[in-house]
Amino acid sequence: MVRKRERSDIILDMLVSIQDKGGKIKPTHLMYKANLAHQQMKSYLEDLIDKDFVREIKDKGYKYIIITDHGLKFVEKISQMKEFERTFGL
Amino acid sequence: MMFELMYDPKWFYGKDVLTDIVSLFILFFIGYFSLRSYNLKKNKNYLIFTASFWLMALSFFFKIITNFTLYHKTTHIKQIGMVTFTYTIFHHSELLFYFGFLLHRLLMLVGLYSLYCVYSRTKLNDYLLVIYLIIVSTLFTSSVYYLFHITSLTILILITYNYLDLHLKNNSKTSLLLFNSFILITISQILFIFVKLNSWFYIIAEILQTIGFVLLLVTFIKVLKNGKKKRKK
Repeated sequence: MVRKRERSDIILDMLVSIQDKGGKIKPTHLMYKANLAHQQMKSYLEDLIDKDFVREIKDKGYKYIIITDHGLKFVEKISQMKEFERTFGL
Repeated sequence: MMFELMYDPKWFYGKDVLTDIVSLFILFFIGYFSLRSYNLKKNKNYLIFTASFWLMALSFFFKIITNFTLYHKTTHIKQIGMVTFTYTIFHHSELLFYFGFLLHRLLMLVGLYSLYCVYSRTKLNDYLLVIYLIIVSTLFTSSVYYLFHITSLTILILITYNYLDLHLKNNSKTSLLLFNSFILITISQILFIFVKLNSWFYIIAEILQTIGFVLLLVTFIKVLKNGKKKRKK
């Protein structure tokens, strides 16, 4: 049975998707890459903007999501935590 | 009457205190990281893991204190006729030594058992039974010293078996390092059982235990580095 993603997993998937795209991604691409429904994505995105992990910008008339330094540090912290969890079997 | 505390280190004492301090800090830092992870994820396993590591760190703290034979020095002044005598008496503090060791052993066993609980599915009745057995073996350890090491050894074998299982599943360098570090800590407990036969058992056991904890630190540093690397890729 496939394990349901936890909140921290979804946040990590979103931030990693932005990072993988060079730190800048279109909202629709983010939705597909992080495997989220539209409403879900909207709610998570608001949360991430509130926490200053990502920012919305406009470039040549298109809306983009960019990851902040704070967001990058958070990705690092979560990745270390996941590695710790995997190694110590938590 | 003046009151002053004095420590009386014996041979190897300075060294084994140092190794215990190293182990204490390693346990504290790993426990601290686990607590920070708990704040992010709210997974109760992180909290039990932190409690377990901090209990063991606290246990080392009490061991460090009792590793020194604690004396207190009292200076008395007595007037006999026209002459004033000043003399000093050294008193050995048995009470502190006894309770320090008792706390060291109790906290170590509870800490190890908590770590085991992270991986086992234990029922409440079992917890009560094991806590009772831990208290009994701690109390009896003052007359049968190796009882503590046999109990630690038993719990450590169970934990190490869990880490072997985890390594077989993960097949990573860090899980192998973790397994090796616990193997060394487990072997050190076997050697501690025989310390009364020859003092070399104590020295080798202390060294093995410290190498085990240093290996645990290496595992932890590698985990942090791997976490960073994975994201940079």
